[in-house]
Amino acid sequence: MIALRVLQLILWLFVIPAGAGSLFFLGKESPGNGFAGPGRAVFAWVGGQILLWAVFQLLCVPVILRQGNYSLVQRLYLAAVAVLLCSAGLAALARRKKPRLRLVEGFGKGDRASVILWVIFWALLLFQIVQAIRLTYADGDDAFYVAVSTITADADTMYSKLPYTGETTWLDVRHGLAPFPIWITFLSKMSGFKPVSIAHLVVSPVLIAMAYGVFYLTGRKINGRHSEKLPLFLVFVEILVLFGDYSYYTVENFMLARSRQGKAALGSIIIPALFFLLLQLLEYLKEKKKIPPAYWGLLAAAMTAGALCSTMGAMLCCMLVGIGTFCAAVGFRRWKILFPAAFCCLPCAAYALLYLRMG
Amino acid sequence: MGDVVTLFRDYMGVGLIVLWFLLALLYLFLKEKRRHLRILFVWVPVILLLVFFNPLFARLVFRMADGEIYYRILWLLPMTTVIAWAATEIYGSLRGRGRFVFAGAAAVMLMVSGSFIYANPFFQRAQNPYHIPQSVVDICDAIRVEGREVRAVFPAEMLQYVRQYDGTVCMPYGREVIVERWNVLNELYFLMEAEEVDAVRLAELARERVCHYIILSGEKRMAGSLTDCSFEVFGQIDGYTIYRDSTADLSLPAAGQGGEL
Repeated sequence: MIALRVLQLILWLFVIPAGAGSLFFLGKESPGNGFAGPGRAVFAWVGGQILLWAVFQLLCVPVILRQGNYSLVQRLYLAAVAVLLCSAGLAALARRKKPRLRLVEGFGKGDRASVILWVIFWALLLFQIVQAIRLTYADGDDAFYVAVSTITADADTMYSKLPYTGETTWLDVRHGLAPFPIWITFLSKMSGFKPVSIAHLVVSPVLIAMAYGVFYLTGRKINGRHSEKLPLFLVFVEILVLFGDYSYYTVENFMLARSRQGKAALGSIIIPALFFLLLQLLEYLKEKKKIPPAYWGLLAAAMTAGALCSTMGAMLCCMLVGIGTFCAAVGFRRWKILFPAAFCCLPCAAYALLYLRMG
Repeated sequence: MGDVVTLFRDYMGVGLIVLWFLLALLYLFLKEKRRHLRILFVWVPVILLLVFFNPLFARLVFRMADGEIYYRILWLLPMTTVIAWAATEIYGSLRGRGRFVFAGAAAVMLMVSGSFIYANPFFQRAQNPYHIPQSVVDICDAIRVEGREVRAVFPAEMLQYVRQYDGTVCMPYGREVIVERWNVLNELYFLMEAEEVDAVRLAELARERVCHYIILSGEKRMAGSLTDCSFEVFGQIDGYTIYRDSTADLSLPAAGQGGEL
């Protein structure tokens, strides 16, 4: 029974996101096409999860605002995922390419220094994952966010009960606009584990791994693939994260200590993913390539996923993409990119407006 | 402006990592030739810093959102990427053994400049797969009634965990009373946390707030007895005594009426 539940989690946290992410490999100039081997798998996984988060946000917020039940969100989301997976499956059939599933980078290819660095990287990553499972971090904000997940699972209502006490209240629009805890409820319902276990024991290690997935993709863009600079870059990143507790506010503190909270996912996954996507945009501009629609789709999905994580995510994502694309437009004299970039900001702008009017 | 500088100072901690970040930015500005990387990892962070310290922007955000979260704009600075990348670039520019010495020295320097996260005292070994104290799990399991909500008064050390574990266990007050800066005052809470608990007043207030249970540490001193106020000892778990209001009705609600309090 437990094995079946664990299998469900593997399905929803790895297999389905990777399946949805394969949509970003369609077409000659698609955003994922620059990657091969493990980079391809990581891109599919991270890109797919971002896409699924965006879909969840787009479906969940209207239901919350109409004070609908959680069950409706679950039904809508399952239907949307089915459509995404069918599309990805059909596209894969059309391409008739077998997926390559090599997940461990580097071994046997580089020189000795490179192999040692990859071993250090994997050892440090494993250490952080084990610590996320073994240790607990007493953070008061869990009393709100994890309780929202638990209440939703128990009562089938969303943001209409005070998480601290359980009293019925007016709809909490401010938090309802960023329903990351409801996604945790979804994982709980799919697997049968309690939301509190999903949040602390499952989501934390998975999101830590995903954050390093984003750094891996960025590192590959900066350092190239076969160089020992890539594993060294990742080891330095790990050191900075592990020793990032120099203040209570750092994104590294959120990443390792409060990884189950949406704002941690925003800081450690979505914002680095936006940097990765901006880097990709700058590469398109540098190489004078046409920017494929799938790229803008992924950028819009990442920004919408940012709004799922935190109400402030909408503003932060717009700021970063606004400044990033403006600098890119100035740097490469390609003003036309500002229009699709502005279009990508629309969902976040809508959530920000809703926050100002109703929050 | 003072608030923004304070937030930046709080974010920096001792400031060494931010110093490395600024030095890394300078190094990449001088050495990195690839235009697209310079734009993203040098110009964008500089503009973001200017925006962060812009008093007009700060005033706007402080007015629209909670000023306390303004520091999150600093999350947009790619500090980790820029420092790691600059260190990797320096490593790549060196030859022979020097590069390994540099890599080791840089790693040690970064460790010394930061603070090891797992040394944080808030990290503790998890007692169960729920990552909350076992006493909370045991007490919630003991007092819950299938099909309806119950309400219980818990001691301060349990407040933030109870409703993470079980949404059907309600409380007359929660975490809001223990966060000092929120200034939420609650007489029942003060009564529960007093050195010596006034049993008669506690029973009175708990009943007024429709609390079916009171959970008290076994070590708590009490003036009077809850059992004299129609509260019976329901059980003793993990050093805590659970009192149940014997006058409260904990039967299941009629069909269609729901089990909400």
